[in-house]
Order: sequence, then C-alpha cells, then structure tokens
Amino acid sequence: MEFEGTFTIEEVSPEEVWLSLSDPYMIKQSLPGCQFLTEVEDPDDVDFEELREAEPDEDPPLLPEADPDEVAARGFDEGSHYAALLELKVGAVKPSFRTVVTIDEWDHPVGSASGEGDASGSSFEMDSGMELSETDEGVAIAWHAEADVFGRIAQMGQRVINPVADRVVSRFFSNIEDQLTEVAEEDESSGLRDRIKGMF
Amino acid sequence: MAEHDITLTVNGNEQELTVESRTLLVHALRDELGYTGPNVGCESSMCGACTVHVDGKAVKSCTMLAVQADGTDVTTVEGLDQDGEFHPIQEAFQEEHGLQCGYCTPGMMMTAVDFLDDHDDPGREEIREALEGNLCRCTGYQNIVNAVETASNKMGGSGAAAGGDD
Amino acid sequence: MSIETEDPSEIDPAEILGSAIERREDPALITGDAEYTDDIQIPRMTHMAVKRSQHAHARIEDVDTSEAEAMDGVVDVFTAEDIDVPGSLPVGWLLETLEQVDHPILAGEKVRYQGDGVAIVVAEDRYTAQDALDAIDVEYERLDAVTDPSDALNGGPEIHDDAADNVAFEWEIGNADETEEAFEEAAHTVDLEVENQLLIPNAMEPRAAVADYNPSDNQIDLAMTTQNPHVHRLLMAGVIDHPENKLSIRAPDVGGGFGSKIHHYADEALTAWAAKQVERPVKWVATRSETYQTDALGRGHETHGQVAMDEDGNITGLKVDTKANLGAYLSTFAPSIPTYLYGTLLSGQYEIPAIHCEVTGAFTNVPPVDAYRGAGRPEASYIVERLVKHAAEHMDMDPAEFRRQNFVPGDAFPYETPVAMVYDSGDYEKTLDRALEMLDYEEFRERQEAAREEGRYLGVGFSAYIEACGIAPSELVGQLGAQAGLWESSLVRFQPSGTVTAYLGTSGHGQGHDTTYSQILASELGLDIEDIDIVEGDTDEIPQGMGTYGSRSAAVGGSALVQSARKVVEKAKKIAAHQLEASEDDIEFEDGEFRVAGAPDRSMHIQDVAGAAYLAHDMPDDVEPGLEASSFYDPENFVFPFGMHAAIVEVDPDTGEIDFETYVAVDDVGNQINPKIVEGQIHGGVAQGVGQALYEGAEYDENGQLLTGSMQDYTVPKAMHVPEMETDSTVTESPHNPLGVKGVGEAGTIAAPQAIVNAVVDALEPFGVENIEMPLKEERVWRAIHENGGDA
Repeated sequence: MEFEGTFTIEEVSPEEVWLSLSDPYMIKQSLPGCQFLTEVEDPDDVDFEELREAEPDEDPPLLPEADPDEVAARGFDEGSHYAALLELKVGAVKPSFRTVVTIDEWDHPVGSASGEGDASGSSFEMDSGMELSETDEGVAIAWHAEADVFGRIAQMGQRVINPVADRVVSRFFSNIEDQLTEVAEEDESSGLRDRIKGMF
Repeated sequence: MAEHDITLTVNGNEQELTVESRTLLVHALRDELGYTGPNVGCESSMCGACTVHVDGKAVKSCTMLAVQADGTDVTTVEGLDQDGEFHPIQEAFQEEHGLQCGYCTPGMMMTAVDFLDDHDDPGREEIREALEGNLCRCTGYQNIVNAVETASNKMGGSGAAAGGDD
Repeated sequence: MSIETEDPSEIDPAEILGSAIERREDPALITGDAEYTDDIQIPRMTHMAVKRSQHAHARIEDVDTSEAEAMDGVVDVFTAEDIDVPGSLPVGWLLETLEQVDHPILAGEKVRYQGDGVAIVVAEDRYTAQDALDAIDVEYERLDAVTDPSDALNGGPEIHDDAADNVAFEWEIGNADETEEAFEEAAHTVDLEVENQLLIPNAMEPRAAVADYNPSDNQIDLAMTTQNPHVHRLLMAGVIDHPENKLSIRAPDVGGGFGSKIHHYADEALTAWAAKQVERPVKWVATRSETYQTDALGRGHETHGQVAMDEDGNITGLKVDTKANLGAYLSTFAPSIPTYLYGTLLSGQYEIPAIHCEVTGAFTNVPPVDAYRGAGRPEASYIVERLVKHAAEHMDMDPAEFRRQNFVPGDAFPYETPVAMVYDSGDYEKTLDRALEMLDYEEFRERQEAAREEGRYLGVGFSAYIEACGIAPSELVGQLGAQAGLWESSLVRFQPSGTVTAYLGTSGHGQGHDTTYSQILASELGLDIEDIDIVEGDTDEIPQGMGTYGSRSAAVGGSALVQSARKVVEKAKKIAAHQLEASEDDIEFEDGEFRVAGAPDRSMHIQDVAGAAYLAHDMPDDVEPGLEASSFYDPENFVFPFGMHAAIVEVDPDTGEIDFETYVAVDDVGNQINPKIVEGQIHGGVAQGVGQALYEGAEYDENGQLLTGSMQDYTVPKAMHVPEMETDSTVTESPHNPLGVKGVGEAGTIAAPQAIVNAVVDALEPFGVENIEMPLKEERVWRAIHENGGDA
C-alpha cells in the first residue's frame, strides 16, 4: 500500500528541519512507539535483546539544547543501517516490530530510507522518502512511503492500517514541529538559527 | 495472569467461578459452566451466534469479559423454555423452519426475544434490520423473518400472519 | 407463498411422503442441547493451535520453538521435522495431465499460501495455546507471490518444482473441429470475458476436531466437522499411517458446510496425530480468521465464452476457454470441479449442436480451491446464461423468447449433449412460463419503459439453469478419474419391539436429513415416524458411506434407504406368509400391514413380524432370524434438476445502488419428500447466490495477503441484504431412482448470480453497459454506468 502527504512547519528554516530529521535521537523521541533506534554494522545480524539492554537510561539532549555541530555529527549517513524496536497498536493487537532500516540517500533536501520489520505473526517491508522545500508558510516536507504488510496486520486490511499510519505520521511530524518551535523560541536569545543555517 | 472470583446467575442458577482477566463471557459460559448453547462463530462480534441476555438485554458474549458480567443475570438459550414448554420463539422457529444447521439459532432467537420485548408488531423490514447483527448462512433469512413474525403473534403482538410474503 | 408446516404426529404414514412436516432435529437445535464439536469436553483434554505462515510464498529458513516449549502450560510443540508419518494430503480425483504435488500437513521447506501451517502447539488451555504461537519464531525468505491464474500461467513465480509454468492440468471436452466449423458458418457471433470470483464458504461453525487416543488398543476416536466421515477416515488413515479400523470418525452436529467440510485438510489430521503423540485428548477449533485463511475457496475462474448463431438466433456453437485458480495445492476433489463438474454442464438447457471447452488449472498462492456449494456448475451456468443474455441482446430478441427458441424440447429426453451428459428428464418451457407469470412479464416490460422515461432504471434478469447432481454412478466417475466410488449405503434394522433404526452413509449438516429420511422410511414401511430413528455421521455405527455433497443425499442416500427398506419388506413378507400360513405370492403389503389377498382379516403388521423374526421360534425354512437389511445403491446416472430464476431490480444510476423488486424461483427438483425443506434449501442457496452476485469475494494484495480476512471485510449477506423470494416448483420425476427425486441443495446457488447480473445489465442497457464483474458493489456499478459517459 502507498501513503504520501505533505506536512508544513511554519516559521522554521529548511536547514533546521533537515538537521532535526537527520538526528536519530530526534527520530526516536518523535516516532510513536519507538523503543530504541541504534546504528548497527551488519543489518543481517542484529540482536534486538542485546540492543535493548545496551540502551542508555537517558538520551543526549536534542536541539535546541544540543550543540548543532554534535547533532550534525550524529546525523544519518548514506548507506548506514539502524535497528529499531517499534511497538504499534493496530486494532486489537500490539505487535513489537524488530525493524532494520537502511539510509539509501541523505542529501539535503532529499532523503530516502528502506527497511523491514518483523513481529510475531506480522511483518512489513517499506521504502520511504522525503523532500524539503521552502514555501510562503514555512517548510513543506513532502513525504511518501510504500509499504507491504504481511500476516495478522495485513489481514486487518486498510480499514485498520490506514488510520494507524495516519496517526503515526501525524504524531511524528507534530512532535518534530513542537521541538522546532522550541528551537525558534531559543533563537530569540542565542542566534541558534543562524548557526544552523551557516552549517549548510 | 490475574484471576478473579465472580458470581453469575445463569438461567436462574447462581454460580461462582474463577476466571482470568481476559476470559470472555462466552468461554466462561461454555468451558467453565457447560452452557454450550451460545456458539462462537467469529472473533469480530459480527456473527451474533454467541448472543445471550445479560440483565435482560441481548449481548454478544464474545465481546464481554466474564469479569464484566460479575453479579449479573445471564440467560442463555438453555433458559428459554420454561417447565418443559418451549418459549414462543422456539415454537415459531420450529414451525417456520427458521433454522437449518442450528449454529446461529441460539443467538438469533436471543436477539429476537430482546427485540420483541420492545416491539409489538414489527414489520418484515424492521425484523430484518433488528437481525442485522446475527448472521445465518443456511436459511436465506426468509423463514427466520417468518418465525419472528409468528413469535410476535404468539407473544400477543398483532402482526400479520407468518409468511407475509404471500 | 410460504409453505405451511404440519405436525408429523397428525399425519398418516401413507401421506407422509411429500408432507411439509416440522423438522425432527429442531428440538435439540433450539434448546442448546445440540452437540457441536467445540461443545465436547473430555477429562485431561488439551488444546491445539496452529502457527500459520504470514507470507503467501516464502522459504522457511528456521523455526525456533524453544521459547514456546518453555512456557507454562505448553504440553508440546511440533514442526514438520517431527512428523513421522507420510503426512501428505492426497488428491481424490486424477486427470490425465494432472501434476500431483506434495501437500505436507506442516510445511517444512516452503510455505505456499498465507495460512499454510508451520508448527503446532499443544497446551493445557486454548488461551495458552494461542499465546505460545506468538513465541514461535519463524525466519522466512520471502518470495514473490501470485494470486491470479492468468498471471501465474504467464511467467508467474514457480510455486511447485514439479509444475512448470504453474500448470496443474490442461483439459478439454467437446468437439473442437465441429465447434470451429459452427463458428465459421455462423451468421452471428458474440463473446464475453467474465470472471467468477473466489469465494470464502463461511459455514457458521468454524472447522474443529477433538481426538482421543487410547494407547492400549491403539484406538483414535475423532469427532470433527465433516460432511463425509468415512471418506475422511479412509484418507486420514493413510495420511497419519494409522489402521483404518482403529480410527473412528464421528460428525457431531455440524454447523453448515457448503462443501468446505468435504475436504481433507491438514488440521484435523494434525489433531489426531498430536493426540497420539501426547497421549491425551486434543481439541482444535479454528478461529474465524483461520477459516478465512484455510477453508478451501470456491470458484476462481477467468473465462472467455463465445456463441455462434444462425440468422434466426438459433445457437449453433459454443466455445469456452477457462483459466481456473486451484490455489497453492490440490485439495481433495479440486481437479474435478473446474472440469467434469463444469465443462459437462455447458449445454445448459439448450440444444447446442457443437460445444468445445478448454480449461487450464493454475497453481497460485491462495488457499486451495475446491468444491463450494454448486462446485463447477454455478460457473458453467453463469457463463452460459450471461452469454445467452448477451446473444439475445445482439439479436434484438426478447431474452425469454430467445431462451424458449433454443431450449431442448420437452419431447427430446433423454437428451444427449455434446459434452458427455445425458439429461434424464425435463420440461424447460414449463418453468419459464411459470416464472413469466409470476413476474407479470409483459406488464413489467411496459413499466420498465415508462420508468426509463422518468429516469428510473429497472431490469429483469433470467437464469435458466440446469445442474447434474446426485453424484453419481461409480463406474462412470471412475472412468473420469475419481479415486472413489460414489454409491451410498444404508442399513435398516428393526428392533424386536418393532421400532426401527436406519443407518446412512450420508452425513447431514443442517439439511434436515433426519426428517427427510424418516419420511421415506415411514412411507416405505408404513410406520409412524416416532418409531423411526435415523443415524448418520459415525464410522463406528454406519457400515460405510460416501457422505453429503453434490446434492446427493436424497437421490443417492434416499434411494439406498428405499433399497434396504424394500429388502426388509421382502424378508418380512416371507416370515409373514409363514406365520399366516399363506403362500408368499398371496401376501400384499400396504401401510405396514401384510394381508392375505382375498382374506383381509388375516393380516400381520410388520412390527409384529419383526418380533417374530427375533423370537425365531417359528421361521420359514432358509430364512435367518432377525429383521434387517443393508444395501449399496449405485445410481445409473446423475439427476438433472432445473428451473428458472428471475430477478427484477432497480438501479440508481447516481449511486450504483441495486434494489430488488422481485426475486422469483421456479425449480424442478423432481418429487419433493418435504416441500418445506426443499423451500428452505432454495432460500438458502439463493442467499448465497445473492452474496456472490452483490457482496462476496476473497481479495488478495499483490503479495497474496488476504484483504478480506474477517466478517468485517468480507460481506456475508445479512437479513436486509437478501430479498424476499417467491418460490414455486414444477415436478418432473427423475426416472433414475426409486423416489423420482433430483436434488435441491445447490440449485439456488447455481441459479441466482446470473439472474441478478442479467437484471442489472438489463437495467443499464440504456447506458450501453454490457457486462459488470461480480460482486456488483455500488462503486463498480457506478463506474460501469459512467465508463460510457453516463448518459442514458
């Protein structure tokens, strides 16, 4: 099934959005149900139990508290792989998807990633991408995803899956938006925004 | 899994039992208490084969947890006949051939009894709508609608004679 | 038009055959006393659940059951590696070109449809068994899947190593050259591409099994949802390598089947096998999701049909090319359904000099496809009746008169078609005329005309159906590839006190056999119905049997019952003659009484003869004590019910919504043993046909994932979806069986879809709509209207 949409965030610059969307910690905290998101060497050999246990109690700070250079340094690189544990409530079931994602392309303002997730009795495969553009209102994030779902979840059909996908995506972007609003507020005092702009 | 002691009054008999939090009322009735009249036909509350009365109202017993029914009066199809006499709905289903394999029949009758309690003289369309939550794969419904009409007459309603499609 | 029922106790045995008596099975079914398989509880019983593939096509890389095995309450977990018996499901009908493929009861290397079993859990209770499934970790390498038969045949991913291009078989019937010639010489030809969509049977009771194993005598007692316990026993004995005489199969009350409980699936065999492994009783009950994933589907045809006509609209030739979806494996009778139960019915009610039909069976990644109510015959009737409607339109002829002109004439029976059938008897104009009368046809055409002027679109659709049922002569089906005989067996046994028990090898599951057979036997023996008990569905009690499907129970089982009853009477007559000191030739039997001809006061009731036969103090020479007889009845031909169904609908061109104004069914099923039961079969059959025409259809995505996997997404018709039906019948006796009956179980399902589709196409004729694929959902109808611009 295919999903797409555009989410516009007002009063921010494309660079701020890009930097945030490149930050694995920002993604982890914004993505509903994401238990962890960790870079891995070999996508075919991931021990999720080990990663869960190795997960630190507290994440490093996000923008605006974080140093933009540090955020940029930990940002996504093309060809890198991430493991994530995603707990999603779909209808009456709450599967935990052991997910592995590869960053296929990451070049401002275009990014794409592909991955697959596996839960008991259900799984998915996904290709997704986004492109940022500046508009009169702010920054438009045009995103698209093509997903194949399998098993118990697939059987619930689009009637159940579409609202879940809508919910996840809209919460994700509104979380990002909330965080970026803090960046905008922070900027009143520190000139953070200019610093980020200067990085690109 | 947490366990709970609950009391159900089933067809007039008070019964105490211990159930898990997740035990469905239909499984408590069938597996724990032996009332196998209500049947399980789906797990999506669409088919209605498990319909019983809880405190007099028709309820799909696969959508209710046993703990939620604690302290209630439950009537299953086993409680429809009184003193060896069939309930009018049972007589009507037999007279009109309102059933074939019988799997949906207990739920169908329990829904119909609840409906007829509130509707004196229902039309055929009204009956069909009332049975929306009860699926039958055998009869094509026509003789079920006839049976509900006939039962309505037997129960004192002034509805048209059965076989109103004449 | 509803038939009024009668109280059986008020009916004389002489009148009971043909009476619409109340059903004897109902008291148990309306009180909760009935016993369905899931109602069975046995001490120490465990519960089995099946881990099913989430992928429609994948290689299994690893199955890790360790976590599940360690769970509290889990008794054992088994995978394909543990299966120590042949464990491959057999196919019971072979064709010359058939590729037989392995169908393991648990997949070990590869899964081929979503729902294919990979492991089983046996646990202390049903909740724990389900929990443990989630703890089983299966690693798959996903493969591309294909669900459409044409795609599968044209370069689809290879599903079985042994079946190149996913071809299961190629089959043909009729005469290709003569048909080609008919098309060359034709004044007119028309053609249609139609799809007959995959359907999910949806018996209200999900499949289930309870097995109890006794190690000290190696006995397995298996209660299961079956339409044919003896057939299941024979096949399962091989699958789990257990002696047939140590495997008892019983059908408790069965909550509908519609074909889906004929087939030998993996799960019931696994239940029996697991009971033997854990040496405790095992219960397995399918969830509704599992029935959606694993019950054999029905239909699944893509067909191109062509009709040749002369200049007067006489049909001169018919050509049919079908791609049939067989699913991932060959189910029990799968090869016979789109071949001998389909191609042989393509002559319909018509005299067609030349017919040729080719069928290619395709493996795909959907569950196996097999018999579902009608089984092949609905598909045949659909293409024939859609083509006939199309042809009549092309010729600008009235569709009713076009049919009449092409009917096999009433004096042509027995009629041999070009597709290997000999129709027993029929009078097709009679059912047509009655239907036209019930529709008030001429008046309708005027109303239709007037309505169109007001922008309202009414349409009438006809379905002149014929089916071959009462399946069927063993020798014939053997020649066609059946791996079994299709006789039926019965045993009629008097008890010394004069009551009777009859044992039949059919196995009813909602059809009212207890009532029907009691009526037959009461009539044959002149007994009150209360003195008769009927036993079906138990391999321990009933000597042999072939089961209930193909509308065969009355025609074949009923005939076996008559045959045994008549043997009993014959023997009783000898004893009565001896007791009455008369010559056997002088004894007459009527209404249960043996009388000496010419001396009416010298008589003996058959129930007293039974007493004398067991007392055996005074028996004629060469007559053994006791009074019972058994028989195997093998019919000499199929029987051919027929009829005319017609629908009047109104279509709202703005929404695509279809409303029924009238549904008329005139059926000729031969003699009727209980007209109320016959009526019920027609009602239920039509409802399933309405379901196919308007609502139902199994849908899969491109990965073979079922998108209609629950009753929320697959519309089983509800009460308000099914129209009020007006039914009537004509009676043309079958000459082939002693009851003159023809079978009624599938008639409605065979007849209804094309009546409805033809009606909708007729309504939309002003919009230039020639075809719409089932199910006729509102959106699809709306699109068809607007495809041609939407102007009437």
